[in-house]
Amino acid sequence: MNEKPEHFDEHLDLRVSPEFSADLNTLFKPQFSIPPEIDRIVMDRAHQQLSPKHWRHRILRHISIWRIAAAAAVIIFAFSLNLTQKPGPTTKQSLLVEVRAVDIDGSGRVDILDAFKLARYVESSDRTVKKWDVNGDGLINSNDVDMVAFAAVRLPASVLPAQKTRVQVDKGV
Amino acid sequence: MKNVIVIILLSISVMVPVLARQSDVDYPEIQSKVRFAPVHIYLDSGNKLLAAYQFELKAAPRQIRIVGVEGGQHKAFEEAPYYDAAALANDRIIIAAFDTGSELPKGRTRIATIHLQIIGDAEPDYQLKLIVAADADANEIPAKISFEKGE
Repeated sequence: MNEKPEHFDEHLDLRVSPEFSADLNTLFKPQFSIPPEIDRIVMDRAHQQLSPKHWRHRILRHISIWRIAAAAAVIIFAFSLNLTQKPGPTTKQSLLVEVRAVDIDGSGRVDILDAFKLARYVESSDRTVKKWDVNGDGLINSNDVDMVAFAAVRLPASVLPAQKTRVQVDKGV
Repeated sequence: MKNVIVIILLSISVMVPVLARQSDVDYPEIQSKVRFAPVHIYLDSGNKLLAAYQFELKAAPRQIRIVGVEGGQHKAFEEAPYYDAAALANDRIIIAAFDTGSELPKGRTRIATIHLQIIGDAEPDYQLKLIVAADADANEIPAKISFEKGE
């Protein structure tokens, strides 16, 4: 148990002769000298570039930049579309149906004369024409007249939702 | 460093359109002089009784904003006429009214007054168009429409 292996022998002579050392230096010495600082920098960079963590970080960084770029592109596109302006509540088809419904005199145009003729009809005693119940409440009255009149003055390019005008408010519609 | 530059450039590319749009919207209020004035609308139906009318008023874009509509001079048309509320704060309006009564005006009469916000120093280029005028039997009649600028 107290035996020590021979190659761990403390008394083993590891020294080489100066001649042998000089020969080794002659054989393996570089032709030019590299400062130790440069050696260290090269090694550090090599470690950084080759480490897997570094590559993951670079990929994630590139992805996040592209995400920001995509978000910016979406925002610019949205502003170019002017999404703050809401489209009108009526479609062309529903507008056509409405126009047909309130063209009282069948002139092909909805104007104040349709409302005027309907108002004269409302004031008359005979109210048998059910198709002139424009708002579909079962009655033919001033509300139908107002609806036709407002259809007549509606702006074609109106983009705002229908609102009550002063007349509507005054009449309590 | 490159990332910072990219983020700054992206921020600028987002902010520039937003600010441009904002300044575009605010331009009339900030840069232009604004005043308010009424425009009186007259209709001359000659010797025929006027029972209904419809007309359209518009101006060049950014010249006016319609802020209110008032009725006419004669009792038959003194109530506020029909108009699209969307026309308010706009530069175009269609106005119409009728009266089924027997007391109707004839000749030249003021049928409506439109209150306007006039943007800028230049006088607006108004375009007034009569769409229809009718008598008490709802028959179309020839009529001449005109306007006068008020103070």
